[in-house]
Amino acid sequence: MIKFLLKRVLEFIPVLLIISFIVFSLVFVAGNPVALMLPEDASQEDIERLTVALGLDQPFIVQYGKYMLDLVQGDFGKSFRYNTDALPLVLERLPATLELAAASMIIAIIIAIPLGVWSATRKNSSLDLLATGGAVIGKAMPNFWLGIMLILLFSVTLGWFPVSGRGTIAHLILPAITLGTGVAAEMTRLIRSSMVEILSQDYVRTAKSKGLRNFFVVYKHAFRNSLIPVVTITALQTSTLVGGALITETVFSWPGLGQLLIQAVNTRDMAIVQASVFTIAILVIFMNLLADVVYRILDPRIKYS
Amino acid sequence: MKTGTAILDVDDLHTYFRTEHGVIPSVNGVSFEVREGETLAIVGESGSGKSVTSLSIMGLIDSPGKVEKGNILFEGKNLTTLGKKDYRKLRGNEIAMIFQEPLSSLNPLFTIGNQLSESIKLHQKVDKKTARVKSIEMLRHVGIPRAEKVFSSFPHVLSGGMRQRVMIAMALSCNPKLLIADEPTTALDVTIQAQILELMKKLAKENSTAILLITHDLGVVAEMADKVVVMYAGQVVEHTDVYTLFSNPKHPYTKGLLNSTPKFHETEEVLASITGTVPTPSKMPKGCKFNPRCPFATEVCTTQEPVLREVADGHKVRCWLYEEKEDAI
Amino acid sequence: MSANLQSHAAAESDAGVIKSRKKTNALSRWTKLLLKSKTGTVGFIIVLLVCLVAAFANFLAPHDPAAINPAKMLKPPSWLEGGEKAYLLGTDNLGRDILSRIIYGSRVSLLVGVASVILAGIIGIIVGLASGYYGGWLDSILMRIVDSFLSIPNILFALVFLAVFGPSVPTLIIVLGVTNWVAYARIVRGETLSIKEREFVRAARSIGVRNVKIISRHVLPNVISSFIVISTLSIATTIILEASLSFLGLGVQPPTVSWGGILSDGRDYLATSWWLATFPGVAITITVLGIIFLGDWLRDVLDPRSQSRS
Ligand SMILES: Nc1ncnc2c1ncn2[C@@H]1O[C@H](COP(=O)(O)OP(=O)(O)OP(=O)(O)O)[C@@H](O)[C@H]1O
Ligand SMILES: [Mg+2]
Repeated sequence: MIKFLLKRVLEFIPVLLIISFIVFSLVFVAGNPVALMLPEDASQEDIERLTVALGLDQPFIVQYGKYMLDLVQGDFGKSFRYNTDALPLVLERLPATLELAAASMIIAIIIAIPLGVWSATRKNSSLDLLATGGAVIGKAMPNFWLGIMLILLFSVTLGWFPVSGRGTIAHLILPAITLGTGVAAEMTRLIRSSMVEILSQDYVRTAKSKGLRNFFVVYKHAFRNSLIPVVTITALQTSTLVGGALITETVFSWPGLGQLLIQAVNTRDMAIVQASVFTIAILVIFMNLLADVVYRILDPRIKYS
Repeated sequence: MKTGTAILDVDDLHTYFRTEHGVIPSVNGVSFEVREGETLAIVGESGSGKSVTSLSIMGLIDSPGKVEKGNILFEGKNLTTLGKKDYRKLRGNEIAMIFQEPLSSLNPLFTIGNQLSESIKLHQKVDKKTARVKSIEMLRHVGIPRAEKVFSSFPHVLSGGMRQRVMIAMALSCNPKLLIADEPTTALDVTIQAQILELMKKLAKENSTAILLITHDLGVVAEMADKVVVMYAGQVVEHTDVYTLFSNPKHPYTKGLLNSTPKFHETEEVLASITGTVPTPSKMPKGCKFNPRCPFATEVCTTQEPVLREVADGHKVRCWLYEEKEDAI
Repeated sequence: MSANLQSHAAAESDAGVIKSRKKTNALSRWTKLLLKSKTGTVGFIIVLLVCLVAAFANFLAPHDPAAINPAKMLKPPSWLEGGEKAYLLGTDNLGRDILSRIIYGSRVSLLVGVASVILAGIIGIIVGLASGYYGGWLDSILMRIVDSFLSIPNILFALVFLAVFGPSVPTLIIVLGVTNWVAYARIVRGETLSIKEREFVRAARSIGVRNVKIISRHVLPNVISSFIVISTLSIATTIILEASLSFLGLGVQPPTVSWGGILSDGRDYLATSWWLATFPGVAITITVLGIIFLGDWLRDVLDPRSQSRS
């Protein structure tokens, strides 16, 4: 297991290298950010002086090398808006985003598992049609719009939940539902199709022929098997989930990474943008690794190699 | 031949699948009985309804399939009207089943021991420890070496023959009165086949378990069966004891089976002496279902369906050749 | 026996008839296939309608979508109290007609969706084919790049790109194309790998047919159906992505009308004028729903492997 983990972690290095290269190239192409850093009335000389001081007059390769050196030390540069290091700013916002993502995931799981299993065991029943129909609609709705509609209904009209901010459970519910719905929709579809396939497997018939109760047949013998593809694909969706979180945060003024990032994009605060990209990429990679581990635990047929 | 009371009596069983492409009458009026300790073989080409018959007895026909008509009496109890809960008590306990594919019939995510002790715990109401002891004992009984180790192994590490032994252990763990074996050896190597059949025979004898054996292989029939049912297109076309089947087969289809190569699981090339294939449900011929392939087909065969008629003591045939002609029309 | 022979002959002539019919009536065959699936039909109709609306927006829209009318600010939909017949779905904070804006907004959604998916498809097919066909170190590098893209959410990549180049419709098309190619690359690579091993491709290779020729003759036609299916579903997600970016103010910029943009405007008037934020979202949802239905149907029809799944 340790060996396998080590191997997987080593595989991340090229991925992170490529990301750094892409991001750096983009920023390089973006041109000289010095003008943005200085007050608007700064003279041409000031600009040039700072450019040289920051090494921004050097050729691409040299700048990239320096950038990578800094990166390895966790230095993404200074945010010129906050005038502090970018990484701590990003990490400070991370817990809020993780909280939102985790809550959404829980909501998605709570909805998707029973719904997916039920509709698979009652294929083509009206409940199945309702669930699959709901899942498609859930997938078709842009989540920022769903968020706005939830605010309209539950905050503006009914006044049950606060419109924005973070702090209490009440603050968390609407954003988590907003973000969780899309995930739940995808997961329901997945679990359903996976379960439908598994339920027709020979070993399910064997389990039935033993006289086991339907509940055991479905949840012990079929469900665990159906989880294997679900776990893999759900992990691949982490990136969609985080992407969704960025938008959901904006809708609900949730003080997470998304809010910070979008401000940074608007003000071209590239240090924060870069630090965010790396933080999120590592998060996604970590989730995929976790899924791989879970997958191995679920399926004894796979050997660590 | 052994005699005893009938423990299974299938009477005019109809199992249909109502699919979007129409109704498929997979089993269409099948009757037979299995006596205590007796082995009844069902033979027939692929698609003739053998598996559906056995699953109907197990009560495992899923939608869109349904037992539409007929009775299945097990020790006098009518299974077609049995409640779900009572059925579950029967399954794996008094009626057990072995399937064709030992590879896919075991759940890949649970150990052999887990799956084996599952039904022991369920039906014998014993605790985990006792179930474990019984399971290991059962594994030894079916000739599995290092039973303790196998108990905690996952199915994928075992060979096909070993897995089928495990399936047999599982099926026999609660001393069932009836064992349904749906092509238990088709997926195995020839040498292993013989061992598995031998094992089934031995264990069935020990507990006087009746066997309903479904097979493609007339060699297996000769080896194992006391009585034989020949099925064609969801119907019984001939029903007799094993000696009569080989010495004096009546139905043209049975004769064809006997003349063709001993094994005929691949539908197409198989029946050297019978041309064509089993008709698809949507293209069932009028009259006798076998008439398009029958070398002896006459006018009446294409218009009227023959009934299953006793032509000698304990020997039933569904064929116009053996009808008194005045009964027709 | 004779009956058997006859039925055989009949079957053969049947096949012949079917074959000739197939050729002459491909259109009616597709129509039949489409009508067989309820969701497929619904999806097709929705997509067709949206395309027609986009194409004929200037005839269909009752008002100029940019016409500011201070006298008609924030009018509710016509069926509500205070609504006016002329403004079916109400007006926005500048008195512009919501319906007309939604009708015009369909243009940019479709344009960005379709154009970026074509771009993504081109990149993805090239990468996937190269990776699958040539294998080796090229494959390793390309697949690592795919992995890198998979670990960055699409929207994040788009944001970085937009931060650098600034928002505009062409940038949006490029950025969404560049974020979406990964799905194609993976599927095309997989398909190429499996096709590469098949007899006919091996045979072609062994007699020295040039690689480019093999790819265009044998591999491309085989990935076309997967390509169509991914493209359809990809257009759906891209439309949502574009709307999200425009909603964040980083996508389509005014005065170009976009659904995300209308929604973004409407967000500030949620408490008083719910219709502003509601209807553009309905438009997005219905459009995307139609495309998903159509895509699912296409998948079932084009990909025989998926049939058992559904
Ligand atoms: N779930 C189902 N849905 C629709 N039709 C079915 C279903 N199960 C079985 N059938 C149909 O019932 C008929 C009989 O099938 P069955 O499996 O009993 O054949 P068999 O005699 O066991 O064949 P084999 O030797 O191949 O196992 C076939 O025509 C099959 O198409
Ligand atoms: Mg069968």
